[in-house]
Amino acid sequence: MKKVDIETLKDASLRLMFKMSDKEYETLLDEFDILFKQMEKIGEIKGVDDAIPMTFPFNIKTTYLREDIPSKSLDINVALKNAPSVQDGQIKLPKVVK
Amino acid sequence: MNFEAVIGLEIHVEMKTKSKMFSHSLNSYSKLPNTNTTEYDFAFPGTMPTVNKQAVINAIRVCNALHMRIDHELWFDRKNYFYSDLPKGFQITQQARPIGSNGYVILDVNDEKVKVNIERLHIEEDTCKQLHLRDCTLLDYNRAGVPLIEIVSKPEIKNGTEAMKYVEKIRDIVIYSGVSDGKMEEGSLRCDVNVSIRPCGSDKFGTKVEIKNLNSTSNIQKAIDYEIKRQSNLLLKGEAIQQETRRYDEMKKETVLMRVKTDAVDYKYFTEPNIIPILLSDEFIFEAIDTCPELYDQKLTRYTSELNLSKYDAEVILANIENCKYFEEIIKNTNQYKLASNWLTVDIQSYLNKNNQSIKDFKISPKDIAILIEAISSNKISSKQAKEIFNKALNENGVIADLIKNSSNNLISDEGELLKLINETLDNNPQSIVDFKNGKDRAIGFLVGQIMKKTQGKANPSLTSKLLKQEIDKR
Amino acid sequence: MNYLDLGIIDIHNALLEGKTTPLELTKEALKRAKEDDHNAFEYICEKEAIEFAKTLTKINENKDNYLYGIPYTLKDNYSTKDIPTTASSNILNGYVPVFDATIVEKLKNKGAVLIGKTTLDELAMGGSGTTGHKGTTYNPYDKNKERLCGGSSCGSAVSVANNIVPFSIGSDTGDSVRKPASFNGLVGFKPTWGKISRYGLFPFAPSLDHVAYFTRNVEDSAIILQALEGRDVKDSTSFDIENKNYLNNLSNYNLKDCKIVILKEVYDSMSDKDVVLKFDKLINELKNKGAKVEFVEFGKDLLEAIFPVYFVISCAEAGSNNANLDGIKFGQRIDGNTYQEVMINSRTAGFSELIKRRFVIGSYVLMKENQNELFLRAQKARRLIVERLNEVMKDYDLLLLPASPSIAPKFKDSSDKVNFDYLIADNHLALENFSGIPSLTIPLGFKFDMPYGINISSNILQEEKLLGFAREIEKITGLKNLSIKNFKELEKEAL
Repeated sequence: MKKVDIETLKDASLRLMFKMSDKEYETLLDEFDILFKQMEKIGEIKGVDDAIPMTFPFNIKTTYLREDIPSKSLDINVALKNAPSVQDGQIKLPKVVK
Repeated sequence: MNFEAVIGLEIHVEMKTKSKMFSHSLNSYSKLPNTNTTEYDFAFPGTMPTVNKQAVINAIRVCNALHMRIDHELWFDRKNYFYSDLPKGFQITQQARPIGSNGYVILDVNDEKVKVNIERLHIEEDTCKQLHLRDCTLLDYNRAGVPLIEIVSKPEIKNGTEAMKYVEKIRDIVIYSGVSDGKMEEGSLRCDVNVSIRPCGSDKFGTKVEIKNLNSTSNIQKAIDYEIKRQSNLLLKGEAIQQETRRYDEMKKETVLMRVKTDAVDYKYFTEPNIIPILLSDEFIFEAIDTCPELYDQKLTRYTSELNLSKYDAEVILANIENCKYFEEIIKNTNQYKLASNWLTVDIQSYLNKNNQSIKDFKISPKDIAILIEAISSNKISSKQAKEIFNKALNENGVIADLIKNSSNNLISDEGELLKLINETLDNNPQSIVDFKNGKDRAIGFLVGQIMKKTQGKANPSLTSKLLKQEIDKR
Repeated sequence: MNYLDLGIIDIHNALLEGKTTPLELTKEALKRAKEDDHNAFEYICEKEAIEFAKTLTKINENKDNYLYGIPYTLKDNYSTKDIPTTASSNILNGYVPVFDATIVEKLKNKGAVLIGKTTLDELAMGGSGTTGHKGTTYNPYDKNKERLCGGSSCGSAVSVANNIVPFSIGSDTGDSVRKPASFNGLVGFKPTWGKISRYGLFPFAPSLDHVAYFTRNVEDSAIILQALEGRDVKDSTSFDIENKNYLNNLSNYNLKDCKIVILKEVYDSMSDKDVVLKFDKLINELKNKGAKVEFVEFGKDLLEAIFPVYFVISCAEAGSNNANLDGIKFGQRIDGNTYQEVMINSRTAGFSELIKRRFVIGSYVLMKENQNELFLRAQKARRLIVERLNEVMKDYDLLLLPASPSIAPKFKDSSDKVNFDYLIADNHLALENFSGIPSLTIPLGFKFDMPYGINISSNILQEEKLLGFAREIEKITGLKNLSIKNFKELEKEAL
């Protein structure tokens, strides 16, 4: 069965751009433990390995493609009204070091 | 020990569709920041992607030019990562099922044909543009969602020259198919290069170094050749090659370290659930290909075989699509292809160079150039006069047709006057008469030249040579 | 004024007869909303609603438009132009959308009056009604405030059960409308995936997300579907099949032509004897009316797989969908010295610990080294489950199941930590999200004065049939237009 450790989870959460308290990682370990057991059990269901992964609820396809016709832009003041920090008509961030 | 290089290229091409890849905002470069946006571009919650038809048509056209297998179903995936320029926290791309796979191009490298296989071509969307100031970064979402195609070569390229030719080939295809401006210096064609080296004959791959931010094809060549040398020297010294990202420093003419690559990023791809699979019918694909503008290679073949231009001339014209368009406009009105080529690549081009202009700024219409060429070829005016007319049209805003009329009116076409001039010339050049009678046709040209000199080019050229022959025969 | 206690058709008739006006209805709905003490509202749109209601002066030109002047509420995870929208998450505090969701636009064009945005479990990721940033939303049937309202569309359920409005739009990813409908004595309906545009619905897990809604009777459900269904070019997954005659065609369905299937394992896992008794009574009554009712074994392994499969898929999609919430473009930013710090500070403060754990799980199951055993395995199992469901359903008109194993549980008996010691009867509703089929909860009975419901589903795009039979079942249960005001009277006449 899969195993997971706190370091992996801490790394995962930082890559998701948030921090959690230590208590939460402990909870997560328990949750993963249950999840792995369940998923292992699911792995034993007949035919599961050969099934095609399903994204859409039913077999649905389309031929529709959007015509390449531009529409009016959002007004810049509307577009940026929710931005917490704006300068010179642009959203401002601390300097991004590449 | 001898080393061989293993080079793979990833090329991103910005498509010049009217609207963006997954939203209907205007796709245009030169506007004020954040003025070509819709709610999708800022990733406002609840927005959903819709696939741009023209972008798909464009991708099909490039796939076809690259001899690729075209998938008849479009599937998209999410590439998940966080970055300041990535509005949604994921990019919609085609990881599992690229629209194009298994293609190739044939390159001319030092008169040899080199085949480069292409792994995949997929459709994706661009990120927003970052303006890095001294103490902050500003974000402009005009570029967010601009349609991109990414073309990934197999790691089969062997040196900088091949890589340069490969990029030029791709660039010609995307430019001539109307898919993109293909301007590396403006970022509408971007190229990342992976270089590794290994002992000749080895089948293992060495450590890959990525070179980014290459802004011209010649820099691609230089950067790669430098990098091969650098890596070879390291290995010869017994040092290990780091997995890293470098950039090319034009001043130093060398690659410099940007960052060492730690572990690879896991993009946690999965199928985009907001775009159901799109079926591309045979008819749709055929139509996309059938209506594709004529490509570079097709034009080259036509120019050399049908128009009888030299390969050199044809390549000079095709080096710039705007020049090429101008050329094609000229030859709608004249079948003097060679003259048209000469006028474009010599006279017009040197004027443009001198005035630091592009053909788009050029004042004389291609139709007028055709009229000028027709006047020359029908001997209404001499080449020398044509050049004067050309300059007058440019410098004094003269109208070509009027200038030609005036010039041909100025031509000396009075037989009596011409005969007098001819006989004077013949008297002064007895040797030329002898030469001509001995079969040296060039002598006629010399004599016509003498007459033109005397008349400052105003003697009617066809009449002059006709009379000249008559008079020689009489002697 | 008690017109708001009626169904939509009766309110409409009162409007036509001039007994009331859109403005009067709106003011009454606003008054009731402000009196709400169950934590049903994120935002009450008083000014906007009154302004809009004042423009609705043409009832006589809207004789066939049942929604004209009808007040409604909307789960706070739909984009509403110029009206704050938080999805009950701190990270969206202060966010004022710049566009209307397609359904909001449609309802506006019909003249329905939005009077408030309702609370939900944070980002719609929960089933208890306790995890929103404004805290617990209470079940209006429970005076002691000890029992769950159910979620995630908790505030919407309260607003209809409490007669503040006759209908409310929620969203249903696992059971987020149909389960709270059971706990609040309501009709909760989720049509086929793609039937109603999701444009403007804050995504939780798009492959499972559905626009869904609460009403107090089946007719109203038909009216809402007519108003909301249809192709939307902004939602590539939406169908271009429309019906528009659901209401008129309700009477075309007779239970004697109805073949009903019950999943044996689900039935067997029902542990509340009173509920089973009532369920059996219903089955008998259905048979009396000529319906064919059969039990089929679905496969226990597949039914037990439902919750883990749901959990893996929904967490994975959710983490990705909410990656846009980074404090940069909108919502609550907590500053930092680098862009990473801005993101980390904003997201750390903006999400509850529960949500973060779900995102970590979602991210983990998608990692390259885990995809096969976790995410892809879940997607494969989803296919097996859906294929089995379609196989079972192909010979039947309706799938009939309990909507919840019993009445709403007490807070002290529920937990938001992952716990798979569950009853199949408590988790099967995700079947209809996996398969996208239309599914509807209607009230069945009461215990301790708390309601519970049944759930019926049909094959994809069979909404008309489902609604038609649902109305026949509603006649049997006798619980039409149920609300906390009238349930004691209705209960006396009920099944």
